[in-house]
Amino acid sequence: MPDRFAPGDAVRTSTADPVWHTRLPRYARGAVGRVVELAGHHPLADDRARGLPGTTQAVYHVRFAAADLFGDGDHAVTVELWEDYLEPADDRRGTP
Amino acid sequence: MSADHHGSSAISERVRHVEALLEARGLVDEGEIDRRIDAFLAGGSPANGARIAARAWVDPGFRDRLLADANAAIRELGLSMSGGLQEQRLKAVANSEDEHNVIVCTLCSCYPIALLGPSPAWYKSEAYRSRVVRDPRGVLAEFGLELPESTRISVWDASAESRYVVVPRRPEGTDGMSEEELAGLVTRKGLIGTAAV
Amino acid sequence: MSRINDVGGMVGFPAIVEEPDEPAFHADWEAHVLALNAALIRRGVYNLDEFRDAIERMPPEAYLSSSYYEKWFTAITTLLVEKGVATAEEIATPAEIATPAEIATPEELRASEDARGA
Repeated sequence: MPDRFAPGDAVRTSTADPVWHTRLPRYARGAVGRVVELAGHHPLADDRARGLPGTTQAVYHVRFAAADLFGDGDHAVTVELWEDYLEPADDRRGTP
Repeated sequence: MSADHHGSSAISERVRHVEALLEARGLVDEGEIDRRIDAFLAGGSPANGARIAARAWVDPGFRDRLLADANAAIRELGLSMSGGLQEQRLKAVANSEDEHNVIVCTLCSCYPIALLGPSPAWYKSEAYRSRVVRDPRGVLAEFGLELPESTRISVWDASAESRYVVVPRRPEGTDGMSEEELAGLVTRKGLIGTAAV
Repeated sequence: MSRINDVGGMVGFPAIVEEPDEPAFHADWEAHVLALNAALIRRGVYNLDEFRDAIERMPPEAYLSSSYYEKWFTAITTLLVEKGVATAEEIATPAEIATPAEIATPEELRASEDARGA
């Protein structure tokens, strides 16, 4: 499967709240950020934690403006996220 | 945090008990635990990260290579991110007048042990992990680092497989120093981002 | 369901405390826990993601009051039992048999999720 996203893409994170181990921090759920770069390909941690082999997929560095995560703040937070946690977002200005 | 003396001896006994059980079951070899501990302690050290920073300060080509592909660049110094279960991807992020970087693992404690040695307890604490993504300027100020308002702060949350190292800004007044002397200026906190260097 | 380890942005924790010249391990048992974990992962008894998952399934009050390597040891013993390597009785020292630890199993987590009607 080709990678879905490229640097510069605007992406929105999942709002899912799974029962199982996941690596999307809750502060970054349902937020729009921008892909900084592809950061490798790895099996999904959620699957590995349940003893499954896990689908290998792209992981990306996604940068968020603090204001978009928390409502205030002038800093940026970059999180490394598996492709499964992401959907395309409408292009949006303002994310660093 | 840790239990009192009575508590510590209880957990010490529990660990010893489990270790003996696993040795009896053949899941741990005789002497393996001590060998692994020795290897861990002999492995990473902040001196490794400091060498990387100093090289980046004196050699702009190395700095560019480091920022583009840190895993490859650090091999030029005889360093590597192997040694664990698999080679980890390293991301080096450079501080500048405009931008200051700081690293955290909010979900657990991921840290470039191969380069910086064991992580400090504060890095692994809920206090640091909860606050640095929310108020990095405040956290850095508590560490004694006051940044100008014009300096953007960029927090990196080690949520997947990459590990991160900050390349601090080269301090003023260091023009005559050798690369080795420059490396001596770089601290573990500087490589995490909670100090200027 | 959101787990206690997922603390980014959470308020209420105490001030960050720096210990000067902190040793890698505050007691020998901590080093042994680190080494045991590496040995078990290398042997394929469990993987690193399962290890993190086991830490995260600690009850919140246990997670917050346990030291770093106490969390690790809890996860190791949880997984040894869940993977059938040893029974809880075999792992426990006599002092522990009196006060067993409580870790939610994956099934219990799913059951409580179902009960929420999620």
